[in-house]
Amino acid sequence: MSNTITNNKIKKVLFIGAGANDFGREGEHDAAIFQVMPELRGHGIEIFIIDDNPYALSLESLAATVFWQQLTVDNLKKVVRENNIDTVAPLFGGESSLRLWAEVVQSWAHGDGTVPSTLGLSIDMLLKVNNIPALTAMMADIGLPVINNYVLKAQDEANELLRELHLPLMVRALHPNQTNTRQIVERLDDFEDAINLAKTQSVTQEVIISRAINGLKEVSIEILRDVRGNKMQIGASEDMDPIGIHTADSLSVSPILTIQDQLIGRMRDYAFRIADMLQLKGVMHVQFAVDDDTHTIYVIKVSPYIDQMATRMSLATGYPTMLVAINLAIGVPLEEIVLPHDFGKHVAMMEPMMDHVVVKLPVFPFGELEAAGVHVNRQLNSVQKSVGSTLGLGRTFIEALEKAIRSAHFNNASFSPTNMKHINDDELIQQLIHPQDNRVLLLIEAIKRGYEIDELAELTAIDEFYFYQLKYLHQLESEIEANIDNIDALRLGKKYGLSDGLIARFWHTDFNIIRTLAKENGINVTYKSVEPSAGEFPENARQYYATYESENESVQISDNTVLVIGSGAFRMGDAAAGGYATTVVMSELRRLQYPTIIMNNNPSDATLLPHLADKQYLEPLEVSDVMKVVELEKPKVIVIPGNRRKLINALRDLNQNVVILPKTKHIPGGPNENQSEFALNIFYDGQQAYPINLTQHMAGEMRVIPQVAHIPDTIVSTNFEAPGVYQVIYYQSIVHWVDRMDLSNMGYDSWIRPMPFGQVAYLSKAMQTQWLRLTIRAAMDDLTSRDIELLQTINERPIVYPYSMIAADINYRLHLQPHEVIDGTRFEMGVGVKDYG
Amino acid sequence: MMQRHLILEDGTTFQGMSFGSPATTFGEIIFHTAMTGYQEIITDPIYDGQMIVFATPIVGAAGIHAEAYESVKPTIRGMIVNDLAEVSVNRQRRMNLDRFLKQHNIPGLYQVDTRQLIRHLRETGPQKATIVDYADEHAVDQLVATVLTNKQVQNMATPKPYANPARGRHIVVIDFGLKHGILRMLGDYDANVSVLPYTTSVDEVLTLDPDGIILSTGPGDPRALPESVLTLIRVLQSKVPMLGIGLGHELFALANGAELMPLPSEHHGMNHPIQEIISRQIFYAMQGQGYAVDEKTIDRKKLFVTYRDLVDGAVQGLRHRDFPAFSVQFFPDAAPGPLEATTVFADFFETVEDYVEHYNQQ
Repeated sequence: MSNTITNNKIKKVLFIGAGANDFGREGEHDAAIFQVMPELRGHGIEIFIIDDNPYALSLESLAATVFWQQLTVDNLKKVVRENNIDTVAPLFGGESSLRLWAEVVQSWAHGDGTVPSTLGLSIDMLLKVNNIPALTAMMADIGLPVINNYVLKAQDEANELLRELHLPLMVRALHPNQTNTRQIVERLDDFEDAINLAKTQSVTQEVIISRAINGLKEVSIEILRDVRGNKMQIGASEDMDPIGIHTADSLSVSPILTIQDQLIGRMRDYAFRIADMLQLKGVMHVQFAVDDDTHTIYVIKVSPYIDQMATRMSLATGYPTMLVAINLAIGVPLEEIVLPHDFGKHVAMMEPMMDHVVVKLPVFPFGELEAAGVHVNRQLNSVQKSVGSTLGLGRTFIEALEKAIRSAHFNNASFSPTNMKHINDDELIQQLIHPQDNRVLLLIEAIKRGYEIDELAELTAIDEFYFYQLKYLHQLESEIEANIDNIDALRLGKKYGLSDGLIARFWHTDFNIIRTLAKENGINVTYKSVEPSAGEFPENARQYYATYESENESVQISDNTVLVIGSGAFRMGDAAAGGYATTVVMSELRRLQYPTIIMNNNPSDATLLPHLADKQYLEPLEVSDVMKVVELEKPKVIVIPGNRRKLINALRDLNQNVVILPKTKHIPGGPNENQSEFALNIFYDGQQAYPINLTQHMAGEMRVIPQVAHIPDTIVSTNFEAPGVYQVIYYQSIVHWVDRMDLSNMGYDSWIRPMPFGQVAYLSKAMQTQWLRLTIRAAMDDLTSRDIELLQTINERPIVYPYSMIAADINYRLHLQPHEVIDGTRFEMGVGVKDYG
Repeated sequence: MMQRHLILEDGTTFQGMSFGSPATTFGEIIFHTAMTGYQEIITDPIYDGQMIVFATPIVGAAGIHAEAYESVKPTIRGMIVNDLAEVSVNRQRRMNLDRFLKQHNIPGLYQVDTRQLIRHLRETGPQKATIVDYADEHAVDQLVATVLTNKQVQNMATPKPYANPARGRHIVVIDFGLKHGILRMLGDYDANVSVLPYTTSVDEVLTLDPDGIILSTGPGDPRALPESVLTLIRVLQSKVPMLGIGLGHELFALANGAELMPLPSEHHGMNHPIQEIISRQIFYAMQGQGYAVDEKTIDRKKLFVTYRDLVDGAVQGLRHRDFPAFSVQFFPDAAPGPLEATTVFADFFETVEDYVEHYNQQ
């Protein structure tokens, strides 16, 4: 009977979205849900989705019945009851969805009817996964190496435990309400504060204390398991940074390079045993602490749900993780999974192999915040400080690292070899022990100053491999600097991923000169495909990265393509909605049947989903990277976010057909506590401007004013650079919501700007009018007469959802310890909605 | 570091930077897709006489470990990689991959477009190759004129019996180029091991009165071995529990009348799903094979297929219908490779226990 698919009782599945973006939540769950819903519908199952995030693409999916509502226990229960939901899928929404669903299950009353089953996990296991001590005890029972937990009850004294345990200790909440922070306590003085914080994060004010294992290597293994108990490994990475630095803030490398096969084999085996223990049907990420001198391994975290590792590994290997995961969850055995025809025949069952290196580099908000006068604690520790990440792909570690750094928009100056000269030796050692965001530069500086590699490895707990690599990078740069115009030096520099811009700086010239010099000497970029067989089989790859070798695998796909330039890493501020905007644009271009190509490097947003584009380039987005792709693909049109002025100008200089997605160069700030920001929203189709509506924005909340909007005569077409949504902004000292706003109040200090993507996302959902799709249709000259008709009357239509958009409650104090107040509009991370009825 | 060249028999050449030994060598070139275990792979006797192209982007970053030798002296003819790391974990002296290969007189090439090379080899299949200083006509002529040995087993297998004593069951290993992983697994079962040359007679084996027999892994084409080996297997399989691994599996198949076929492109890696036919369970194991048992030639009255590679359909395991004898094409010693394959040894020792119990009851 084991081969019967057990999905015959699954009829209606409810997905629980991840909610507002936050630290560690950058849209990967939404991307996963968006991808798997149509697949599940293909199995004849009716799909529902609930989420409150205005940036959620899955709320715009045609595959599901959509509930744009706050993620609360009551709302969930109501949706389940009113729609006869038989199965709930929280695993794709990640940890927060899982927690919310567990809360619903625990509060399920007798009168609520049958509890829907949970896709991929039994209710029993679902509750265990949510209870760290219970999960740890289960793992210890089956002989897995875990670190013992001590639970401190609300009224207990912590001092008793301190006699038994030795510092450093890890402190976190039991039964966390929302966030659960892993704090590492190294000094006795910090112990009480840590306990108190953990208590505030726990529903029951209980705290888990365990031995901290700082300095060990952190390894992640991604596996999957099917209904028959078959298991396979679909990815692995090692962190360059040791345990003690949050894995999201660590530089991570795939494949695992510095750990020998036997130890990796043991971790794989432990992960498999955990999946069996949980009877999981789906994918799981297990984190380990590894001491490769003593061969000691500890299981430190079990995440049987979609997280950033899952999406990153899928991009890193080309393995279709999400499509496989949803099949597994409904009980299709691994052997019987049918993938879309463009995947190789046995791809689902073959463990993906890599013939390239992928470096994930965290992106920290420190620079932007400091430019705005906000000072934060830059020291990295067990609490996440990064807000996004970029991927660099290359054939060597150095190449992948260089590309990840460039993708993170470090400009060359901040990654310059001379940048660290001012720091004295004492400070250097202090920072080696207590690393900050700039640690890669610091490590190079230490090598330059002649510190021995084993000494550095000892100080930092970083594997000596990385020091040899950085030492080589330093040698390479010195050699290039010393040999101006030397072609061999140029060839080697390009091979190891140094950008045209960086070499130009060494040679005191312009990147275009370097580009030409390379071309004249036959140093050409080659694109390699990312596919899971590492060259063993011919695969229909869509995904490419650049390197400098002899064989190029990428050929122009059509002479009618649209190249879309993504917006890179998730960042604070309006970039938070950048991924949403790019994805909607791509989706619309596909609908209009243009062959599309995307360039991006953000592993978390939906832009790099397999089927949103005909081809993907996982590349940095600097002018030279884009130029090389343009030369190969010769796109008919290039779509670029409006804030990329330099790139737009460079492409226009080459007579490229550029479509701009209107976007301001600088992150807009929000109204202060004593005022309202009013906006007259306007759509410009390239010829004519149409009034949309008026919005009022007070600190932390925004609403649509129920009033018909008109455009004053002072606004003319020349105010708009390209088709898109714009707003005329003006401020008034009003601190209550208004029903009407007289446009004549709009003073001389009003100004026009492109509407921030976040507001576009909110308005598109609240009005049920796809503004970005209209924008791209207008730009491509594809507006229909129905579109025009809609635009002509849109200002008279009431909004469909009377919701206000609210800033998400982000715990900046915990993550960043800012000395000044952070402007939640300007440095927004996530948003939700609230019904104002 | 100096630039050197790889020349293939079909005339294709690749440039790379030299590491390891500066020697000029000839060998059969194959590619390996495993991402871990480079040390185990280059020291595995099954690769005697071959040049190995690694798909994994960087080798050397895990160092050379005392516990990761599959033979004391590697005999591959060359190692071709994309990028090389110089990490040492040796407590006594610096011993990185570069020095290790120098010590064993094996040339290496790095900064090679290995992905291009692998894409080429997957089409052509394995061929003769040479690593040279100059890619001139002379080097090509030399390569074409070179005849590679088919006496790899003779080169690698022990000429003299030796023991690895312990207090558990007595296992005789017939050595065709044994890798350490098999001995390590037998050590896990506390087996009292006698390793015998493949030229051993039936009498010599039975005089030792083993509780089980293992036909070891080994390099090359099993058909190059003398017929006496097949006779040895045919007699022993009817008397004592037997497990054939790799080349041992191929010999077990030949001894029972099946034929081998060369694979269009050799398979070396650890990512193919292997299915146990009776349970339909899928697992993964290290695989390294140039040949597979031709399923059409299997005598169904004698043997049945127990495991299959779900990617290429190749037979991965056989069992005898009448005797406690079975074999696997993949490497269940997990050195390197997934641990789940080691259950094959558990099966073997279960068979051994049954055999011992059977005699004890008599």
